[in-house]
Amino acid sequence: MLKYLKEEGPLGPRMPLIFCPGCGAGQVLNYTLQATDRLMEKDGIRKEQFLFISGIGCSSRIASHYLNFDSAWTIHGRALAVATGALVANPAFKVIVFTGDGDTGSIGGNHFIHACRRNIDVTILCLNNDLYGMTGGQHAPTTPLGEITTTTPYGSIEAAFDLCKLAEVSGASYVARWTTAHPRQTIRSIVKGIRKRGTAFIEILAQCPVHKKMSPVSMLRMYREKTVQISKTREPAEGKIPIGEFCDLDKPEWNESYQRIIDQFRGKAKIGV
Amino acid sequence: MYRLWVEEKYCKGCLICIDVCPKDALAPAHEMNARGYILPVEEDMTRCKGCKLCELMCPDFAIAIEEIEGNG
Amino acid sequence: MKRTSYASHVLKPGKYFLQGNHACIEGALIAGCRVYAGYPITPASEAMEHASRRFPQVGGRFIQMEDEIASACALIGSSWGGAKALTATSGPGFSLMQEAISFAIMSETPMVIIDIQRSGPSQGYITASQQDVMQARWGHHGDGPIIALAPSSVQDMFDLTIEAFNLSEQWRTPVFVMAEETVGHMLEPVIVPPWEEIEIIERKKPQDLGILPQDYLPWGHDVVAPMANWGEGYNVNVIGLCHLEDGNVTRYNPQINYRCVERLQKKVEENVNKISRIETQFTDGCKHLLICYGVVSRTAIEAVIEARAERGLELGYVRLITLWPFPEDELRRIVRGVDTVFIPEMNLGMMEHPIAEALRDRCRKIVSIPSIGTLHAPEYILSRIYEELT
Repeated sequence: MLKYLKEEGPLGPRMPLIFCPGCGAGQVLNYTLQATDRLMEKDGIRKEQFLFISGIGCSSRIASHYLNFDSAWTIHGRALAVATGALVANPAFKVIVFTGDGDTGSIGGNHFIHACRRNIDVTILCLNNDLYGMTGGQHAPTTPLGEITTTTPYGSIEAAFDLCKLAEVSGASYVARWTTAHPRQTIRSIVKGIRKRGTAFIEILAQCPVHKKMSPVSMLRMYREKTVQISKTREPAEGKIPIGEFCDLDKPEWNESYQRIIDQFRGKAKIGV
Repeated sequence: MYRLWVEEKYCKGCLICIDVCPKDALAPAHEMNARGYILPVEEDMTRCKGCKLCELMCPDFAIAIEEIEGNG
Repeated sequence: MKRTSYASHVLKPGKYFLQGNHACIEGALIAGCRVYAGYPITPASEAMEHASRRFPQVGGRFIQMEDEIASACALIGSSWGGAKALTATSGPGFSLMQEAISFAIMSETPMVIIDIQRSGPSQGYITASQQDVMQARWGHHGDGPIIALAPSSVQDMFDLTIEAFNLSEQWRTPVFVMAEETVGHMLEPVIVPPWEEIEIIERKKPQDLGILPQDYLPWGHDVVAPMANWGEGYNVNVIGLCHLEDGNVTRYNPQINYRCVERLQKKVEENVNKISRIETQFTDGCKHLLICYGVVSRTAIEAVIEARAERGLELGYVRLITLWPFPEDELRRIVRGVDTVFIPEMNLGMMEHPIAEALRDRCRKIVSIPSIGTLHAPEYILSRIYEELT
């Protein structure tokens, strides 16, 4: 997958990746490149169609100067708004948005639910590490009740979001949750998400070994042990996190619907007040 | 037969590759390298079956498995 | 500078009777704008409603976003996606857009925002004002220049919106059209000239200059870098961090920070004479001067003509068409030495500051004539002038 990365730029080296040792973000980048490689090979999608957009945070560092693709590293929480603009300008883009649990669930919450509501053709990869990593481990809307973080030194008193449920209720076409310890399922979901005409929301539990104070290997083991794949039932056993595909629907996509308006009304003008 | 490539410039010694290998073909080095990381080294590459799970799960694109002559 | 081919059903040459809010949309369509992303706010909602009708008619796309922040961010995405993009808002919405504007300045993204100003602060009052002119310049965080134009009529709304798109494509910077509620809601005749006479400027692209993707520096090559859109194979990474000319962001040091910020500033500030326009009347050898902008100039010119005719006052008239970058050198070239400078504004004295900075050594006194919530009547301006001078 190194062919998809810019190891050197005209003015100096870009690699190694800036992530901490064992960070889940590097793994998600790996899985995403595997998925795009598969799509270029199997579906004939051209490399120029891919567009990687991110907000701000550790997860969002993925869509930066490492990539040999078109990309944007935008402002905190607003990646989906930029993605919407790009798709309105050119519906042919295959947009993948890298975002975090804080970027999506907190500051970007409004853009998140509206992107799902509009069902624009975007694949959202939300790296969930239960906190704000880049800024030092503060608590996020996904931090479990009672957890101690740098801004909840006495334990969090707030309930946590279930981002997948939010996406589903807001109207996303495809919603799934996996972890970095489930590479093949994650890659398969990313491929499915990009193929889906509509909003695909894939939450990926990605380890932050530094702020959780666990080794990367133990965090991956924990992800394997604490998660249970849902098949028929949504409600997991006590203390387990459900993973799997939560919904997979076919709904009208925004650009498809708008194209019908253009086809019907183009060239019919009445000027004046 | 498979050969192990580790890119020393990119590896950060997270040891995920060693842990996920289903055949225990890799092991951590005995010493830190100059950058302070413990790199993966070969434990016994005859055990390697070329599943490339290490390559898939590496966060830094620092490991590769190459198939070489002599694979039965 | 190439001409775009005009899509069907933009306004054909002729005379039309339009509302200001509608005229700016028609100007945008002729300039080649094909994406509108906005949010309703009085007094700019008519522009948005007109855009929702007109954009699909010419093959463009309109989207109502969930808030003004999303609108401004959508403009960034559309611009890099290859389309000219527009939004119209008012003071409170403009405040929300400032972070995105800051990003557009750093990433050098062309975009046009029309601010139909209303009285503030906060919800203020839904009447005309010019209270956002300083926010246009300094509302965004960080150093970095913007371009702002001030229309004074519905014809100006049409013409200056086209000019705003040209400037934003030429200089790769956000451009604001600072209108007032008065001009937004006015109905006046608008003349659309023959299309060959309208200059449309497109962004310079590396393909046109023969620069290959492997040699492309997204923020290099020239004072205004050629801009490759997404989807053209140039692997552009659009960022808001200080960067080297090739987009690298890891080799950080204070010198790179300084170089990056200074380059942005100089891009516009060293080209003020190519960007800024002012209109002057009666300034040769005038003893006093009136400087105005926007819709205030409509009544101010009446006051100036009357003062000259009735009382023989040698009063000159300057209208700032470009508010920012402030045309200080041009102003100083015109004004060698006057006695009193009058500045009527629909705010408590905002453009008074750069004007005073420019002309303090060339005049004896600067008199601000504020009017809040309502357009100055000529008699009001006259009464203040007579009070000062007679």
